[in-house]
Amino acid sequence: MKLLAIRTLVLIALALLFLAGFTVFVGRYLHSAAVWAQHPSNRHLYQSGRLKETGTIYDRRGEILLETKDGVLTFHSEQSVRTAVMHVTGDRGGNVATGMLKVMWERLTGWNLLNGAYRYRDKLSAANDLTLTLDARLSALAYKELKGRKGAVGVYNYKTGEIICMTSSPSFDPQNPPDIEADPERYEGVYLNRLLSAAYTPGSIFKVVTAAAALETIPDIEERHYQCSGKIQIGADTVTCLVPHGDVTLRDALAHSCNVAFAQIAGEVGADALQHYAELAGFNNRLTFDGIKTAAGKVDVKHAAPVELAWAGIGQHTNTANPLAYMVFMGAIANGGLSVAPEIIARENMLPAMTKAEKRILPTETAEKLKEMLRNNTLAVYGESRFSGLELCAKSGTAEVGKGKEPHAWFAGFLDREDFPYAFVVIIENGGTGSRTAAAVAAGVLHAAVAR
Amino acid sequence: MSINLFLSDLTAQAASAYTLVARWLFPLLALVILVRCLVPLIQERSANTVWGYLVLANGTSIPVRNWENLIGRGKYADIVVNFPVVSRSHAVLTFRNGIWTIADLGSKGGITVNGVKVDKAQEIQFGDVISLAGIEMALVPQLQNEASKFTDVAGGSSDTEGEKNSALNSAVTLLLLFLFQVLALVQLFASRDGITLAALPVFGIYFLVELLHYLLMRRLQSGNIELELLAYFLCGLNLALVASAAPSDLKKQLAAILLGIAAYTVITWFCRDLGRARRLKYLALGGGVLLLILNLAFGEKIYGARNWINLGFITFQPLEFVKISFVLAGTATLDRLLTTRNMTAFIAFAGACMITLALIRDFGTAVVFFGAFLVIAFMYSGDLRTLFLVTAGAAFAGIAVVTFMPYIAMRFAAWGKVWQYADSTGFQQTRTMIAAASGGLFGVGGGNGYLKNIAAADTDLVFGMLCEEWGLLVALCVLLVIIFFVFYAVLLTKNSRSAFYAIAACGAATIFLLQTALNVLGSVDVLPLTGLTIPFISNGGSSMVASWGLLALIRSAA
Ligand SMILES: [Zn+2]
Repeated sequence: MKLLAIRTLVLIALALLFLAGFTVFVGRYLHSAAVWAQHPSNRHLYQSGRLKETGTIYDRRGEILLETKDGVLTFHSEQSVRTAVMHVTGDRGGNVATGMLKVMWERLTGWNLLNGAYRYRDKLSAANDLTLTLDARLSALAYKELKGRKGAVGVYNYKTGEIICMTSSPSFDPQNPPDIEADPERYEGVYLNRLLSAAYTPGSIFKVVTAAAALETIPDIEERHYQCSGKIQIGADTVTCLVPHGDVTLRDALAHSCNVAFAQIAGEVGADALQHYAELAGFNNRLTFDGIKTAAGKVDVKHAAPVELAWAGIGQHTNTANPLAYMVFMGAIANGGLSVAPEIIARENMLPAMTKAEKRILPTETAEKLKEMLRNNTLAVYGESRFSGLELCAKSGTAEVGKGKEPHAWFAGFLDREDFPYAFVVIIENGGTGSRTAAAVAAGVLHAAVAR
Repeated sequence: MSINLFLSDLTAQAASAYTLVARWLFPLLALVILVRCLVPLIQERSANTVWGYLVLANGTSIPVRNWENLIGRGKYADIVVNFPVVSRSHAVLTFRNGIWTIADLGSKGGITVNGVKVDKAQEIQFGDVISLAGIEMALVPQLQNEASKFTDVAGGSSDTEGEKNSALNSAVTLLLLFLFQVLALVQLFASRDGITLAALPVFGIYFLVELLHYLLMRRLQSGNIELELLAYFLCGLNLALVASAAPSDLKKQLAAILLGIAAYTVITWFCRDLGRARRLKYLALGGGVLLLILNLAFGEKIYGARNWINLGFITFQPLEFVKISFVLAGTATLDRLLTTRNMTAFIAFAGACMITLALIRDFGTAVVFFGAFLVIAFMYSGDLRTLFLVTAGAAFAGIAVVTFMPYIAMRFAAWGKVWQYADSTGFQQTRTMIAAASGGLFGVGGGNGYLKNIAAADTDLVFGMLCEEWGLLVALCVLLVIIFFVFYAVLLTKNSRSAFYAIAACGAATIFLLQTALNVLGSVDVLPLTGLTIPFISNGGSSMVASWGLLALIRSAA
């Protein structure tokens, strides 16, 4: 019988094949079961394609942003608020990839790998609720300040990481969704949270990155003087300023956003150093927090020609910036060079400080110098009266986005205040001059944030 | 609140609380039952009987452990006689009906018994001088102290300590099995919609049948009873799934289990004696051909393939029973297998089956039959090269079939991208995966699933239902049982009395394995969906009876 025993190897081989196939299934199960369970045909969790029940989402003041009422998903009671935070909660159709309904789906619905869709007595518990760090009414105000223009506003606490304001426009009322397809122009990218999932040409706000690289790599940069005649020839191309700035230092060049000076500084810093400091500032990197993955900004000057490097140094070339990541960079400057990871879900346990994700991206000294220069921007150019009492440090940006289109308006910075350690970013698509339009939005939101 | 409302609320609360606790118990109990069944079956193999000794002229005495022994110089010989003049596979020594026979395998040196040349085969007595190419030896009976062991095994009536222990152990396992099934029944009543009271007598009768069959087997059968316990376990789950998905089928399914157990008893009785077993083979072959013809002539299309026969009072799937014929058609005793190498009858029957399957367009079953053909043919011939050629040929034919037959091509189109066609050709697979994901490791509780509302949930997609209602862990236990059947058949081969039993067991195990593999992997999109049943688990009368029949072939090899 030994002979036959050997020949049963074929059967063993078949059994192993089956086991291999089944291992493939188990692997897929562990990896994707949550996605499978989210299919709208799953009647354990969905009724006619809609979620039957979720936990409640509260904002930092205890206002209800989302709850299940009589078997229906119900958003904030005020239309303006629920519209402003639609990208945070997500919509009923599950279209917002970074919305809580999507990223916190497991917690909100109670589904997990161990228990599947099973719920005791078919009920959710308090463990399925979420409290956000967000101030919904502040976000509503920010949304209102955008006045229907496309863009985003973000404010976060650069010491704790809590995002207190987040809004993205265009949005819609999730309680009564409009016919999105009927107006593609108005609702262009409406499911995108522009603060998290978009990346725009940064324009002049990028000069803070170039300045950081210069402070770090050029020893006598603060003593240097640059001459601005309104334009400079680099290679075959000409970099221009709106007006000639004359004799400027780094500090003046940043305040007046002198392209000619920064084109030269970028050249002196060099491609490798600029690339390095851009990456420290959060470019070419996606942030991951509370289940959210942001879009990455982009800087690629490794093999750039001198003229391309010059354009990159003033935030043009192929550079793009993710608004949230840039706000975190601003926060790091405010926080003495320590970057604190953002978060949107309030911590419930007693160990927030221990697990806070901090990363040093600049020496304290450099951060302090940058902070002073950004403060100078407000005092010298933007006007302290618009931001009285805020101790505002900021940089505006007006990013050219092609012929015939209004430039994107940026305004980013922070409050140098112990009691309100807030960093912020405002981006308005085709919003014109950053120091005018975006700065106005920032002023409104920040005054309100401090007043609350 | 009215008293009725209060009571119904109380009942609902109790039902929820029950599920909360019980859903953790099912995988635990299933695992304990599984381990308690597998261990004795694996250990059983160490007991090894010596039927006699072959004593060589130099005094070496080699134990004869099987009813069919290959003698030769090769390393796969059961009795290795290591002299250069002896062929690798020289002779087969067979014990049948109290008579020992030696057969020449066309060796160079030939065989003589008491100086007389053996032409093909020759009966021998203890003490006869057997000479393999001049190497002389004699068969002697087993020694006195071995004799008691011999009667132990043959009689199976002795009251040794070990036997008592194993009887006690299997009784405890049966009790645990009852516990599992009673808890499962209560769970079904505690489910969202509850189940019909008519389920109660069905389960009651099933419990009784398990007990009676168990007692009967204890009395009649030597050796372990755990193989049957595993089948009871699977059938219990089958009833639970049917109660949830198709309660009106419960009575039919119970009848099928009863018929299955009857078929099991008849086939194991037939197979106890090799002579009878070989007669059964021809009976089954005839029956198989008849069923194939009947299917071609009167087959009706109920779901997908044209593989149903309606006799007015009963409908059944003849091809399920042909599986048993198919396996038996491939069996042969070792001497025949090594002398004639004649597989004509088997190949002819396999061909007839394949043609029938092609005509009725049952692609999945064709794959199962082909797999069984490969395993049996390889055990028969040991010829790997031919096997590869046959496989390659079949693969080509398969590709041609898949490409040119629109009905099958459509099924293959969604393979690997079912989520893109979630509401059309990928409907069944995506719903199965959604159900599996909803069940988690412990299930939502029997009767609480939603997959059951989809067509074929309790047959083609039964793996999804199992995962959803009873949890991935219990589903895993089921697959472990099926894989164990394979492992057990392989284990039995080495010490099997005759090649006949070994081939039958391995063939049956192959069919179990392939059906399960194609069903499970097809329903979760690892393989194309082919629409087969999981043996013992899926709803279906013919499938249930055939599963018991095939299990009988595995049992007979023990
Ligand atoms: Zn200038």
